[in-house]
Amino acid sequence: MTEAQSETTEQEPLFAAAGGGLAILLKVEVPADAICWHRFFGAMQLALLCLLFLSGGLMAFAYTPVPGTAYDSVDYFQFSLPLGNVVRGLHHYAWNLLLIVMGLHLLRALILGAYKAPRQIVWISGVAFFLVIPLFIITGDLLPWDQKGYWSTQVRFSIIASIPVVGDFLVQLFRGGSLTGIVALTRLYVLHILLLPCALVLLIGLHLYFLATRGISGPLSDDEIPRPKALFMPTIVNRWLALFILTAIGMGLVAWHWPAALGDPADPTDSAFIPRPEWWVLFLNQLVAIFKGPFMVLGSAIIPGGLVFLLGALPFLDRSPERRPSKRMGVMVAAAVVLAAVTVLSVMGYVEHFVRPEH
Amino acid sequence: MQKPMKLGILTCVLLCVLGLFLLSNNVTGAAKQTLTAGYSKAAPTGLDDPLWGKIKPLEVPFDGKEIFAGKKTAVTTKAVFTDNEIYFWFNWKDATLSVTKEAWKFDGQAWSRLKGDEDRLSLLFEINRINNFATKGCAVTCHVPPGAPNAKEGKFGTATDAEKGDLWHWKAARSDPAGYADDGYLAKISDTKGGRKGDAGKGGDKQNMTADKSKPMYMLAPGKKLAKNNILLAADAVEIADYSVFKTGDVVTSRMPMAAEGSFGDIKAVSRYADGAWTVILSRKLDTGHDDDVTFNPQKKYSFAMALFDDSKDQDSYDSEVLTLEFKK
Repeated sequence: MTEAQSETTEQEPLFAAAGGGLAILLKVEVPADAICWHRFFGAMQLALLCLLFLSGGLMAFAYTPVPGTAYDSVDYFQFSLPLGNVVRGLHHYAWNLLLIVMGLHLLRALILGAYKAPRQIVWISGVAFFLVIPLFIITGDLLPWDQKGYWSTQVRFSIIASIPVVGDFLVQLFRGGSLTGIVALTRLYVLHILLLPCALVLLIGLHLYFLATRGISGPLSDDEIPRPKALFMPTIVNRWLALFILTAIGMGLVAWHWPAALGDPADPTDSAFIPRPEWWVLFLNQLVAIFKGPFMVLGSAIIPGGLVFLLGALPFLDRSPERRPSKRMGVMVAAAVVLAAVTVLSVMGYVEHFVRPEH
Repeated sequence: MQKPMKLGILTCVLLCVLGLFLLSNNVTGAAKQTLTAGYSKAAPTGLDDPLWGKIKPLEVPFDGKEIFAGKKTAVTTKAVFTDNEIYFWFNWKDATLSVTKEAWKFDGQAWSRLKGDEDRLSLLFEINRINNFATKGCAVTCHVPPGAPNAKEGKFGTATDAEKGDLWHWKAARSDPAGYADDGYLAKISDTKGGRKGDAGKGGDKQNMTADKSKPMYMLAPGKKLAKNNILLAADAVEIADYSVFKTGDVVTSRMPMAAEGSFGDIKAVSRYADGAWTVILSRKLDTGHDDDVTFNPQKKYSFAMALFDDSKDQDSYDSEVLTLEFKK
């Protein structure tokens, strides 16, 4: 047998497996409304995550995780390389939009009772995204080594340090010393581009697997009309691709016209710099501001952690098969109260930090 | 399908509005004055161009040091950019027009130097990042005392080779009459050498002095006119053949501005002293293509600081805090 024949024979099972997998996928049917005009938040999340992976990967080619030089490398990438501002802008706007879409996705699932049996595990894996995605933002914030990122990280470290028992240990783990310098930057960089993406890919895989095995939630109507079906490939995949392309173009245009901000380079001696919290942490910031001193841990860990726990435990707290919102007033009222509290705290934070800031 | 489609479209619109509103870049920052350069298709035609009236001014406070310690002043600053150039407009109160710069005066018997310096304005940008310049301004550039061995080449500089600044130096007597501001750069200072350098090219001023330093060597050439504020330009000067032409009280420029060439002459200057105030416009290409100049990219923000010299030496100045320059179309 010649060498070429031997290679062909070795590759055949692989091709056969791929071909078989494709053949199965081509026959898979899913509800036609899996991705449609009124149901696209989950698909959009995936599109935004793909954009974040792509833009982040491109930025990593130019990035140098060394204090000072890190800023120069980001500055060079954004302003000296062709389309650098678009790629960095895409990364910046995509995670902002991702948080909004995640919130809307969760809200929709909550209102329509999509967490009910048999989809409890789908819901729990979805809530887990709310633990992982903020970690990406927190670890990514320091990477440009600008004033905002540096001092925001300092504030976060002080909040983490307020957590009883493990706070100081966690800060040491992230920072690797008494000062936020090259060790902290390296650790957060590794977390941001290696460990967290691995965790996220695993989580996405689990979420999609649970979705495939437990099914997506159907309409609320009681009639027994069978749900229209569509082929997963190419119909649903093509819809997702169209959504991905539209999102990429939209985000790209926004990034082109309003480049992502790159503040002044970090100056660790400039303690006069007071970072303004970003919109998505305004309510958390207010919580921390309300509970001062020994009670700080209430605002920094217990209340937010408790909320996430309750959210995850929702399928087990609300076990009735009833999905209509009008018949689940307890859950609806509780959700409205939490939403109102988050909104009020956010508005308070906005007024404090942006309308009449003292700094 | 009609209702869900409408709902979907509404959600998309809502998302876009939310996105634009919430994702604004102006979500973080701290107190630092920002000069916003407005965009104009056409370049301003001069000091009185109505365009300047439409540009939002920034009142920049300055603190005095050395002989001006404890004193304060302010410079009203505006900026405009076109597709190729940037224009800075400055206005500040100054009770005296100072362009003497030790000019020669003839008393009928002998020549002597007049007492007095000149008014100046300088700006410092970063070509390559200067460590902590964005937060501390010129304070992080190393200044050395007069008389130090490395003071000769400019008295200040950066701490490392990687750091480089772009120094714009408008001089009422030595550069402005020739229509430009000195374009220099700031490099690493060493124990023996200062870090302030002139850009490549020609320019600066020419000493008007005989070899024995007793009198001027040049006078206005026949058919030529003195430049602004009665300054003799090097290009209009001719060697003095007969000193008897001078009368008692005649004053002759001692530092004659030369025509600027190359990168040294990148910064054009227009000025007027009137009603106890200077108004100055400095303009330059956004990208000169020279390594010794900062390249302005309108999508980017730049840190810069300014110093004002009121008829004073280098160490006696009014300094601004560091500012941000941004571009807005």
